Amino acid sequence: MTSLNFTAAVPVIDANVGVGHKNKHPAPFDSPEELMAEMHRHGVEQALVHHQSGESGSAIEANEHLTAWCRDDNRLMYQWIAGPEADSVKQLQDLRAASKVDNVRLHDCAAAGLPFVDWLYGDLLEWLQAEKIPLWVSMANEWDPTWLSPMPMTPVTEIMETLRKFPDLVTVLVGAHYSHAHFVRPFLKLLPNSYIELSRYEVLADLEKVIAEYGAQRFVYGSFYPRYAVGPMLYYIHNIGLNDADLKEICAGNLEAILKRGEK
Amino acid sequence: MIEGGVVIDFHGHPGRWGLTESSPENLLHSMDAIGVDYSVLFNIWHPEGRRGNDNTAAMVVAHPDRLIGFAYVSPLMPETMLPELTRAIDELKLSGIKLYPPFTGINLNEPPWDPIYEFANERGLVVIWHTGIEAAAWPKFVGDVAPRFPKAIFVCGHSGNCPPMRAQAIEVAQNNANVYLETCSTFRSPGAIEELVNGAGADRVLYGSDVPLMDHRPQVGKIVTADISDEAKRLVLGENARRLLKLP
Repeated sequence: MTSLNFTAAVPVIDANVGVGHKNKHPAPFDSPEELMAEMHRHGVEQALVHHQSGESGSAIEANEHLTAWCRDDNRLMYQWIAGPEADSVKQLQDLRAASKVDNVRLHDCAAAGLPFVDWLYGDLLEWLQAEKIPLWVSMANEWDPTWLSPMPMTPVTEIMETLRKFPDLVTVLVGAHYSHAHFVRPFLKLLPNSYIELSRYEVLADLEKVIAEYGAQRFVYGSFYPRYAVGPMLYYIHNIGLNDADLKEICAGNLEAILKRGEK
Repeated sequence: MIEGGVVIDFHGHPGRWGLTESSPENLLHSMDAIGVDYSVLFNIWHPEGRRGNDNTAAMVVAHPDRLIGFAYVSPLMPETMLPELTRAIDELKLSGIKLYPPFTGINLNEPPWDPIYEFANERGLVVIWHTGIEAAAWPKFVGDVAPRFPKAIFVCGHSGNCPPMRAQAIEVAQNNANVYLETCSTFRSPGAIEELVNGAGADRVLYGSDVPLMDHRPQVGKIVTADISDEAKRLVLGENARRLLKLP
């Protein structure tokens, strides 16, 4: 019998949370306390957070906003955003030199109107690969309230072809959706250092199958809050018959291992 | 079952959809994992209706205690609409009607749809539309239809799917007692379920999944993890649908 209430049964670190307001999408919270209150309601203890303004705006300024927004709350772990500009890479290198970077999120290429190709992003990707810093890459789009339409998505061909040129780069592929159902397995197969973030992957009866095929160690829980609600995918992951060890890995352990790979 | 009630998925598609498939095996696996008692299914791929409705009916006949079928027709083939609806409801024993305006380019409040609405009104049937951003499927058009056919029950599938359209859907439900809002959506924005329940009333909201694109479980999770009362969750997850579908 299904319970009418839910909270996570294992420790959870959310691998995909945005903070701050976006130009077209104000966030429903304005402080770490408000964010954590919503996460605690579902049993989430910590989160990897980026400043949303950098997804389609300035990555450099977003990273400056991030530290101010988080107010040194130790429940929030920084995720820095990167764009293709040389000064964006320089900002990250300086932060890295100060031992503050163990992961990076690519800005939203499609929203920025840029192709994700090696001749534009190669310097960034080469540096991340050399430094063993994991990179979050989003294949998700967003609702555009201005045009009453979905925003463009970064083409999966660009993601696949570009990342294949950097085989040692650890990547977390964010926002795979039912429209990506054909692509999840090829990504896992052809990008052996990739992980799938699960905020949008809800194809009927497939999650337990793809986890069985590739192993729980290739998947991480992320909510994509505030674009998406915190609870539904966490609830889903708790109801696909995982054993406790695999559930713990997907809900927190794999993310911790990924971030450890990125430590300087 | 859930605590104190049934769970009825009001929005699903049988058969294959690209890589994904609502096979009986997949459906029952997902339903059983989370206590979904019934799934409503409709096939929207065949404008003449017959092929898809036969497919839906075959699945229902194989699992009559778990699956409920709705008929599909399209004004792109107006000559087949009423004969096929009559066949689907009377012979195939399908229980309601699904309509998909974006496939037609005809706004859901325009005259080509009226024969279907008249059919539903005469029989007191449920009609569920896809509603969303597509120009033919704006929820506000439902406000033109619902008062003209008061004995039919109209359901805004996806509740408009995104914030501006969701607001339209809520307003239409507030103004028309025969309009209900269904919850499945790939846009799982925070607060959406709360907005529907607080705006239209818990007795006017229906849980849906959109299988096979979306599994029953995360879409049930939207309701279970929403900040609404347990009684509201029971109504949304199944009790409202049980009443509309006249299930025991």
